[in-house]
Amino acid sequence: MSVLVYAQNWDGKFKKSSFELVSYGSKVAEMLNTSLICLSIGTVSDEELKKLGNYGAGKIIRVNNEFCKILDNQVYTDIIAQVVLKEEASVIIISNNTEGKAVAPRLSVRLKAGMASGVSKLPLSIAPFTVYKRTYSGNAFAHLVINTDIKIITLAQNSFSLIETPNNAAIEDMSVNIDSSLLKTVIKDTQKQTGRLLLTDAEIVVSGGRGMKSPDNWGPLVELASVLGAATACSRPVSDEGWRSHEEHTGQTGKVIAPNLYIAVGISGATQHLAGVSSSKYIVAINTDKDAPIFEVAQYGIVGDALRVLPKLVEAVKELKK
Amino acid sequence: MKILVCISNVPDTTTKVKFVESDTKLDTAGIQWVINPWDELSLTRALELKDDAAAGVKSVTVAHVGPATAEPTIRKALAIGADDAFRVNAEPADSYYVAAQLAEGIGREQYDLILCGIESSDYNGSMTGGMIAEFLGIPSVSAVSDIKIENGAPVVIRETDGGREVISVPMPFVVIVQKGIAKEPRIASMRGIMTARTKPVRIYEPSAKEPLTRITVFEKPSPRAACKFIDPENPGQLIALLQNEAKVI
Amino acid sequence: MFALALLITLGVFAFTIYRIVRFFRFTRSGFPIKQIGKRFGVMFRVAFGQTKIFRRPVIGLAHALVFWGFCIILFGSIEMVIDGLAGTDKALSFLGGFYRFIMGAGDISAYIVAVAIIIFLFRRIFLHIRRFEGIEMKKISHVDAIVALSLILLLMLSLAGMNIGYFEYKTLSGESLRGVYPVSARMAGLIGNKSLTSMHNLYEVCWWTHILTIFVFANVLPYSKHFHVFMSVPNVFLSRLEPPGKLMNMDNVTREVKLMLNPETSFASAPTDQPVERFGVKDAEDVVWKTYFDSLSCTECGRCTSVCPANITGKKLSPRKVMMDLRARMKEKGPLMIRNGKDYNDNKSLLRDYITEEELWACTTCNACATECPININHPSLIVDMRRYLVMEEASAPGELKTVFSNIENNGAPWQYSAEDRLQWAKDLSFSIPLMSDYAARGATPEYLLWIGCAGAFDDRYKKVVRAFAKILNHLKINYAVLGSEETCTGDPARRAGNEMLFQMQALQVIELFKSYGVKKILTACPHCFNTFRNEYPDLGGNYEVINYLQFLNRYAVEGKLKINSGSLDGKTVTYHDPCYLGRANGIYNEPRALLNRLTGNYKEMEKHGSFALCCGAGGAQMFKEAEKGEKEIFIERTEEALRTGAQIIASACPFCMTMLTDGLKYKNREEEVRNLDIAELIAQSLEL
Repeated sequence: MSVLVYAQNWDGKFKKSSFELVSYGSKVAEMLNTSLICLSIGTVSDEELKKLGNYGAGKIIRVNNEFCKILDNQVYTDIIAQVVLKEEASVIIISNNTEGKAVAPRLSVRLKAGMASGVSKLPLSIAPFTVYKRTYSGNAFAHLVINTDIKIITLAQNSFSLIETPNNAAIEDMSVNIDSSLLKTVIKDTQKQTGRLLLTDAEIVVSGGRGMKSPDNWGPLVELASVLGAATACSRPVSDEGWRSHEEHTGQTGKVIAPNLYIAVGISGATQHLAGVSSSKYIVAINTDKDAPIFEVAQYGIVGDALRVLPKLVEAVKELKK
Repeated sequence: MKILVCISNVPDTTTKVKFVESDTKLDTAGIQWVINPWDELSLTRALELKDDAAAGVKSVTVAHVGPATAEPTIRKALAIGADDAFRVNAEPADSYYVAAQLAEGIGREQYDLILCGIESSDYNGSMTGGMIAEFLGIPSVSAVSDIKIENGAPVVIRETDGGREVISVPMPFVVIVQKGIAKEPRIASMRGIMTARTKPVRIYEPSAKEPLTRITVFEKPSPRAACKFIDPENPGQLIALLQNEAKVI
Repeated sequence: MFALALLITLGVFAFTIYRIVRFFRFTRSGFPIKQIGKRFGVMFRVAFGQTKIFRRPVIGLAHALVFWGFCIILFGSIEMVIDGLAGTDKALSFLGGFYRFIMGAGDISAYIVAVAIIIFLFRRIFLHIRRFEGIEMKKISHVDAIVALSLILLLMLSLAGMNIGYFEYKTLSGESLRGVYPVSARMAGLIGNKSLTSMHNLYEVCWWTHILTIFVFANVLPYSKHFHVFMSVPNVFLSRLEPPGKLMNMDNVTREVKLMLNPETSFASAPTDQPVERFGVKDAEDVVWKTYFDSLSCTECGRCTSVCPANITGKKLSPRKVMMDLRARMKEKGPLMIRNGKDYNDNKSLLRDYITEEELWACTTCNACATECPININHPSLIVDMRRYLVMEEASAPGELKTVFSNIENNGAPWQYSAEDRLQWAKDLSFSIPLMSDYAARGATPEYLLWIGCAGAFDDRYKKVVRAFAKILNHLKINYAVLGSEETCTGDPARRAGNEMLFQMQALQVIELFKSYGVKKILTACPHCFNTFRNEYPDLGGNYEVINYLQFLNRYAVEGKLKINSGSLDGKTVTYHDPCYLGRANGIYNEPRALLNRLTGNYKEMEKHGSFALCCGAGGAQMFKEAEKGEKEIFIERTEEALRTGAQIIASACPFCMTMLTDGLKYKNREEEVRNLDIAELIAQSLEL
């Protein structure tokens, strides 16, 4: 009956998204009047695992063996499935991130468990079990009923806040039996990303246009990107003039990106540019022209001189990150 | 090597999505149906591999679960260059159902590589590919941004949160691809459209399988609010909003 | 002996022509020779009147004099052949006064042409004329030119010598002179020691030199760029008579598209008479015979390349090269095909081995090259035909254009916008815009269909222009309606980019829509839509009266119904950029100027205006893609030219031009003082609408 949250770790460490997942699971467990179990796979220290307890985990299970050193979808599916069955979990919650997408669907078939992906709210009801799911690329949301005894939910990233519910959770090391022939993935080479954040991968992008007036004014923009951990981009005229690299050009004839946050500085919002960034979750526009088309698609805007606004923004972010 | 590409039929991305029958069904009036953009890229990559004589790809098949109204989309895939297709004659009820039907259709022949787009623009499920692999009991690799054939065996690049991995898996397996798998989708040539008419499309009746989930109603998101303007003298307010309201930083 | 020489000449010439004719047999038909009367008209104006040559007035005059001189001297040459065969002496002198006139004119011509040739040789050898250079101008071209010019000079000098000799020996012998030789007579006076024998010898030597040079020259010409001596007049006679903006329909594609659009046949098996014929042009044998004719007539003058906006800004495209490459390729492949059959594959092709994709994709289809060519060669149709091959056979095109194709196919516009948003431009207008569907519901039809176009619907800047025009229509109480969300792309960008299939699908659908509404008159502000409706839709069964908004506004202004207040511009200087698709493509130059001259007393032309106007760079689907590699952007070049007029307002009449010029002003940081406005906006402003 319990709720099981599978919390991915990165080199033995959890991220903010892991704790959001546990917070969510804790609330779902509350709705179902049952307990919350957290599952971790791989080498994770007790100290790190205890952190899960701060967000409501009742029991923490650690599975670690020679087969889980790398992500093999079949192996991970098998591990999670075995734990679910052993613990008689009825709701499984996984993050809708890269690993989650790789494993959860297999789990669904394995356990004949109905699955809802990209859920962003707590279940709307538990009988029938109904969740709120993003569809049509954000143009609509569906109420999805899951008809099976075991249910799988993948939680959309960045959609649930942390809730601290300190619990003195016990850590249990569980061993599962994995057939060695199941591990088929062979990693021939690993490339760790070095240096600059790739524009198309970035969650936050700070972008500059002609309104910046000169390449010499880019300093504050780059600094803002840096403190936000964002990638930098630019509009076409800027890359045409050689102020910024061609690699940064976003737009119809440049890169099409869809970050969580796109900050457009000194960009008017011409059709061709918007074609490259309109799928961004949030758009912030900073422009001296209040009639600039960009304000029609931005959620937040500042009508002002970028050169004065940017440094203040940098300060504000630095304050935040303290 | 035989490649199979699963394709989904979705409304064109500029469609203004509306619902009928008390918001339980999509209003299909006036909708232009297209191949799911991720599947289009997936098909493009498969065809690029086929064009490379050294890769040894014998054929590219497309598979789809859908009613007869999906024919034009399948023909489009054939026009772009696929050799043949099969369609399971059923409404795509949910991902589990679709995956089950596709797995069955795929199981009728020997395919070495099965390509699925990581999501479809209508359901955004990111589920079908992995489910097909589990039904077939074969390995899967997800978040793949490139597929190459080296010495007759496929090598894939899997994107991770901190970089990428070069992976090899014995065939047959399912590759779940994301954008980047091909630079841009191929278009159908005139010649392709003409020959597409004669390429074989096998129709299979669905097996008895039940979907595990059901959509009861759709909701439109609240209308995009007008831009919130922040005082240029107080930009810190913007940062606060971004953190607390938008939750993007 | 003469007869022998003549026989050899004719024999060699016949053989050369026979070979060329065999090459023609490999090419495609598709250029029916009709409208003979009109053709004669074109021939007299362009060939004999040298109107195109005079587009460069000074050097054009020199060429015209040479050409006219040649025509006149031709008479004398014919007489020489007759004399040679029949052993007569000036056989045609029985023609009396006419004969004296012709010979006299011929004599004058000899000297004028000689001087002109010397000027031409001087220019070539000592001056650096830009259009004589280029990657396609190899050493052989220069040698060819110099040899041909030298031969002509020899012809003229030998003619002069002939005439001097004749004049002198007749005068000295006291015999009567046949014909008049005004200049030679005076030149003869400059010669010192004259004896009857020496003058007669001069005559004989020059006579034989002249006629043998003609024989040699005639046989060299087919291998030289000077083949244009034979080919130019026929080529002009065979000119394309359609408006330059029109691209020819591909009927074999129409057949296929109609099958595709009919749900019953769209998946039926292909008809058994499946055309094996290639779509578009890949190699020399794929061209229409007239295009090959063009390539043989090309004299490598380079005027086309010198006005090509792509070439001017350093891109690889050179219209001259395109024609020269076709000629060279046929020269290479023709003999191979004669020997091994038409399907022979030598693993080379016109496409890629001669003309690269980069060159083809750089073209803006501005028609400057075709407009400039003195013998009416049509380069753009070959360039687009090669694009047609790339797109329709290989599905190959720059990525951004593939996206444009997908967008037009999926959502009916080159950019990704929903058709439901096509009336956004009319938001917040003080009057409502009538809809065609509303009229139809009432069982009525408006007088005009106002066609908005995709730019009017989705381009933020151009929406303002459409609003301005709608305000004027409302002010004039015109009976019109719009299609709103029923509008879809005319297919113009698809056709310019070589996607004939997509173009026809769009066109046939639009024609069907117009039919259902009984559309007769179309009013539009976009020159591209205008061009397509007017010139290209009739081939697919769509016949309408298509009116460009400037023609419309000018008519109302002339009739006094549209009162334009010239004070509204506060005396600002205005210049005008001719859109290629209004100007060169359709010959509309006067109406915009008439309107602007009503708006301001300070109208100033750019250096290159009218049919000489430099393209803004957006045509030929360039608007939607990255420019090809070059030294400069075309739109910057044109903006700089506009700025040089010192005008405070740059008036335009096209959404693409407007985008380019506005970008240009931003680039040059002049957008504060200089504004780019559409003529409709200027008029609406003057009416205070």
